[in-house]
Amino acid sequence: MIEMAVQQWQLISGTSWPLMLTISGFAVCFWFYQRCGQRSLLHPLLIATPLIYLAMRLIELDFSTYYQGNGVLNWLLGPATVALAVPLSHQLRQLPKLFKPLTAALLLGGLFATFINLLLIKLFGLSDTILLSLAAKSVTSPIAIGLTQQIGGLASLLAVATMVTGLIGIVVARSLFRMTNIDDDRWQGVILGVTAHAIGTAKAFETSPRCGAFATLGMGINGIWTSLFLPASIGLFIR
Amino acid sequence: MKKLAIGLLILVLFQWLGELGVRVFKLPIPGALLGMIFLLILLSVNKSLLPWLETASSQLIRYIALLFVPITTGAFFLGPTISNDMPTILAVLAIATVLAQWFMAIIIKSVNAADD
Repeated sequence: MIEMAVQQWQLISGTSWPLMLTISGFAVCFWFYQRCGQRSLLHPLLIATPLIYLAMRLIELDFSTYYQGNGVLNWLLGPATVALAVPLSHQLRQLPKLFKPLTAALLLGGLFATFINLLLIKLFGLSDTILLSLAAKSVTSPIAIGLTQQIGGLASLLAVATMVTGLIGIVVARSLFRMTNIDDDRWQGVILGVTAHAIGTAKAFETSPRCGAFATLGMGINGIWTSLFLPASIGLFIR
Repeated sequence: MKKLAIGLLILVLFQWLGELGVRVFKLPIPGALLGMIFLLILLSVNKSLLPWLETASSQLIRYIALLFVPITTGAFFLGPTISNDMPTILAVLAIATVLAQWFMAIIIKSVNAADD
């Protein structure tokens, strides 16, 4: 009887500890982030991950057990990707008015963001594994993770690269807009959405709802566009 | 609660349709992305599903960073071959992001100037 209870306990604790660790760690960091006025460098992802890593070291939890225990969160990335269709559909009526400049900015901007990244990786002599893992870094994470698994990169490295890209994007954007005289909040939104995806979009909503809406549009279209050209052209960059 | 459950069900259904489509037509894109495109097409022709989706999608997007925590934590376990390259990787990411923003600003300036 007691033996059975112990077995049951081990079964439950083996599968639900990792999930509890992720959710509680994130919840604390999310609360802290909002308390501190949502500063970019206190992004919950940036502080929660080292915290969880330290906790894992402390309770001697290995990564594969942890990752499997969090299966439900990874699974939810699929529905979360599909969910992006809802904010996008709200913005589609904005399209006809600005069709030409918006198409040029999105298609050329998306191509440039990806190819300059791949060229720099080559220039700095990084390995093919790293190249495949960083290729989708300016795409919003739920799409980028699927895309990276498709082309054969490391999803964990991509996840960090995406986070870093988003943070750099929002730190630099303000002075870049000033230097290049981009003062229209719609265009600021598009640039933030394409180059800094979800983190940039959240920042854009702080400027104005219209800026955020255009960032959502930029992020969504760039995700679709990059998914179309990247798998077809990645072969050019690997040996 | 009912709206959240039904909304999630619709999202999962579209993900499944997307995965089916990717397999049938052998497309090189993630299934969930095709599901998103399907849903976007449907919503742009007919908005009747929208009230059901609003709750589930806004909640998922609001807490989306939580979903990346397990994968991002994996960065601490990448091994020495990749962590030795981390400084270079960070430099590449920073330069690439700044150049991309600068390029987009120039494109937008020139397209708008040509239109005026």
